[in-house]
Amino acid sequence: MELSKVSKLNGIFLGVGALGLLISACYMFGLLGEQRQKEFAYSWLFAFFFFFTITNGGLFWTMLQHISNSGWSVAVRRFFENLAGNIRVMAVFALPLIFFSPFKNALWEWIVAHQDAAAAAGGDTLKGLEEASHTNHHLHILVAKFGYLNIPFWTLRAVLYFVFLGGMATLLRRWSIKQDGDGDFKHSFRARAFCAFPLLFYALAVTFSAVDWVMSMDYTWFSTMWGVYIFAGGAWSSMALSIIALSYVRSHGYLKKIVSMEHYHLMGKLLFAFTVFWAYIAFSQFFLIWYANITEETRFFILRNTNNWWYLSNILVWGHFVLTFVLLLSAGRKKKPDSIVWVCAWVLIMHFADIYWLIIPERAPSLSHGTVLWYDGAWWGDLAAFLGIGGIVGWAYLRRLATASLYPCRDPRLLESVKAVN
Amino acid sequence: MAKTTLKKVHGYLAEFESAVDVYHASEQIRDAGFSRWDVHTPYPVHGLNEAMGVKRSILPWFVFFGGATGTTTAFSLAFITQVLIYPTIVQAKPTNIFTTPAFFPIMFELTILFSAFTTLFGCFALMGLPRWNHPLFASKQFKKFSDDTFIVCIEARDPKFHQAETKAFLEQVGGKNIELVEDEL
Repeated sequence: MELSKVSKLNGIFLGVGALGLLISACYMFGLLGEQRQKEFAYSWLFAFFFFFTITNGGLFWTMLQHISNSGWSVAVRRFFENLAGNIRVMAVFALPLIFFSPFKNALWEWIVAHQDAAAAAGGDTLKGLEEASHTNHHLHILVAKFGYLNIPFWTLRAVLYFVFLGGMATLLRRWSIKQDGDGDFKHSFRARAFCAFPLLFYALAVTFSAVDWVMSMDYTWFSTMWGVYIFAGGAWSSMALSIIALSYVRSHGYLKKIVSMEHYHLMGKLLFAFTVFWAYIAFSQFFLIWYANITEETRFFILRNTNNWWYLSNILVWGHFVLTFVLLLSAGRKKKPDSIVWVCAWVLIMHFADIYWLIIPERAPSLSHGTVLWYDGAWWGDLAAFLGIGGIVGWAYLRRLATASLYPCRDPRLLESVKAVN
Repeated sequence: MAKTTLKKVHGYLAEFESAVDVYHASEQIRDAGFSRWDVHTPYPVHGLNEAMGVKRSILPWFVFFGGATGTTTAFSLAFITQVLIYPTIVQAKPTNIFTTPAFFPIMFELTILFSAFTTLFGCFALMGLPRWNHPLFASKQFKKFSDDTFIVCIEARDPKFHQAETKAFLEQVGGKNIELVEDEL
């Protein structure tokens, strides 16, 4: 693809991204006050996590297509490979979360508790926590979780997630592009063999990154559905984004003879499958907690059913699942690029709402120690962080699309893919 | 009722040697405007539906309403018994319309069950099953369709059917061993 053909959109991405990051930097370094800086930590986590889940989804689809040796998807595989390539950009955006103390202290109360305990006990965090738990009984749970939830291991895990996910994305894309040059079959076999075992580690990385960064915002809460819930949303929205990217590229005259309406139909079916899968997981998570009615668990949903968050919860039920389900039922709509693109845009909006719903309700109760539920005006920070990260990620994605062929042009299964019928 | 020796014409059978032949013949038969006819092949031939001009089945509509009936049945069953007639209070949770999540599993299951039944029995009804016999089973050459032969059958109930012209037409599109199949009355 010629980068010049998409230079207008790419320029908009870069401009919006740069402006967003500039405003984000003002928030981040406290130019707008310490309170806004703390609020912005949540904005940054929200924006980061939104794009992180989509990027992970791209890696999931790439690996799944290799491991299942799927023939039909060869023509569109590079969209997922390029999407997964964003993981390196996401690693840069993760740095403030992992290493910037004001953000860490604002987001994760357990980190503050650990630091206080270490200071009180002269560096022995566990001993300090045990002593402090005699007066603050909430801290018992941090003593019990210490083997997993401690700052050095937490930091090491964050590094490992990015090394693993970035390594997989880079290697798979590199082999795929190498095959464009030499046409050697061994790249296909190697990629397939290479994906088998690491798929397990992919699942672990996605699950525990979600646990480490989002679930541990409230260290007393836990849910065993958490990892698969995050994964379902990520795979879903990355499929939607890839359909939009595919349509955008086709509108510039590329891939006209490679990608047919059959591919749209197949991708639409996967989108549909994950619509149902997400709803299944989301409802299971809600249902188990609602049914059991245990104090430690219900807090998550009580908070999200209080005041105006109740409306957002309902938007997720009716918009994330019901409406998308109905829209995607029709085979004809999935085969029409003009209409499926709008459904995919809706999917991305709903994923936005989903991640917002996961992270932002924690902000005001955490920072105000439960006295208020909502900070007025904090959403400007959400917007700045979203546009900043989104603009740069979109810019990097478009540039990466242009660096190699838009489809694996010498993959041995390419003809099978072009002629795919379902 | 006494058996008679009278027979009625079921239709014409024509053999084709390959999937390609039967595919192109189907296109011509479709374009000639026949409606009551079918193709019997040893294996599924991709694109044959389009070549035959088969319209989309109305079965999905049956299934939709079957499934909706299942959802409604399950909701009514749970709501009437658990909320209206005998309110079951567990862990001080209210029994009202907002406890619907508790009914979701049964609503989900009955939706699937009713949809599956509608699919199965709706499919049977549309295909005219079950039945004891089929006139085509009288033909010796018909059996070959499950081995290595592609067979087209144009039925006599088709409004465009004509004893001489249809036979000539089948020959013209490449059919071999054309046979007039008859059914006992």
